[in-house]
Amino acid sequence: MSVIHANQTLDCKGLACPMPIVKTKKAMDQLEAGQVIEVQATDKGSLADIQSWAKNTGHQYLGTVEEGEVLKHYLRKSSPGEVKEERKHPDVVTNEVLLAKLAAGENVKILDVREQAENVFNRIPGAISIPLGELENRINELKPDDDIHVICRTGTRSDLACQLLTEKGFKNVTNVEPGMSGWTGPTENNH
Amino acid sequence: MSTKVAIIASNGGLFDAYKVFNIATASAATDAEVAIFFTFEGLNLIHKQAHHQLPLPAGREQIAEGFKNANIPSIPELVAMAQELGVKIIACQMTMDVMNLKKEDFIDGIEVGGAVTFLDFAKDANVSLTF
Repeated sequence: MSVIHANQTLDCKGLACPMPIVKTKKAMDQLEAGQVIEVQATDKGSLADIQSWAKNTGHQYLGTVEEGEVLKHYLRKSSPGEVKEERKHPDVVTNEVLLAKLAAGENVKILDVREQAENVFNRIPGAISIPLGELENRINELKPDDDIHVICRTGTRSDLACQLLTEKGFKNVTNVEPGMSGWTGPTENNH
Repeated sequence: MSTKVAIIASNGGLFDAYKVFNIATASAATDAEVAIFFTFEGLNLIHKQAHHQLPLPAGREQIAEGFKNANIPSIPELVAMAQELGVKIIACQMTMDVMNLKKEDFIDGIEVGGAVTFLDFAKDANVSLTF
């Protein structure tokens, strides 16, 4: 099992409903968009509640890890414009096109630019994981001539990654939309 | 538009208080707009003294232990949290008149209003609950 990186850890152990939700809301208000929080709770109802809460507030529920009595819920704060931002990178394919290329055995490199905490719960087998924020520093892990398909959750971060890679001289970069939120192909995880 | 939750609290026991304030705080924490109309015995739930010592149903007094063991927040804590999250608290003027209660008899930060004050909020609510 790999360590999941969170920007903040919130201790709700021993607290009963509705306290884990109330405390999560307050902590989330203090986070920056895109940051990940780990909520530790012993309230078993929090497993369902956290997911409903995320659905209703528009934040992203990543997953839960059980460690003995403690449930560790991972959430990522969404920004209001996340799904509506304008895309700029011209080369875009759908999930289905990427899936077909993989099925045909084409030599496609998949770059997943979501946070590590998202990647751990669900990713395309063989995808390279470099969170968008680390891409500039880790760019030498990629080859400029490779056929790189960039993926994130909804296509926004991957678009930014495509722009960055193009700027740095990568020739063959394609954004995959919508991304992992609509991915129906094979996945793997660490849990 | 955010979800609107309209609650009527018309009973004055400890169980009633938890039903009202748990739903209210959970809704408010989930970005809903929440208003509670306190009427008849429900006024106990926001009465300055009474809300510190709300009665358990007769014969169920041993449950007080259960609340403690499960680490459930007290009603005054939940009320404060609800207010902090922006839950609107409306005390029923008519009941206050009948029971000879004044606004000062209640916790701070409440509104006093009639049925129409609540209806004005509740008319386009997504969720309406009565306890």
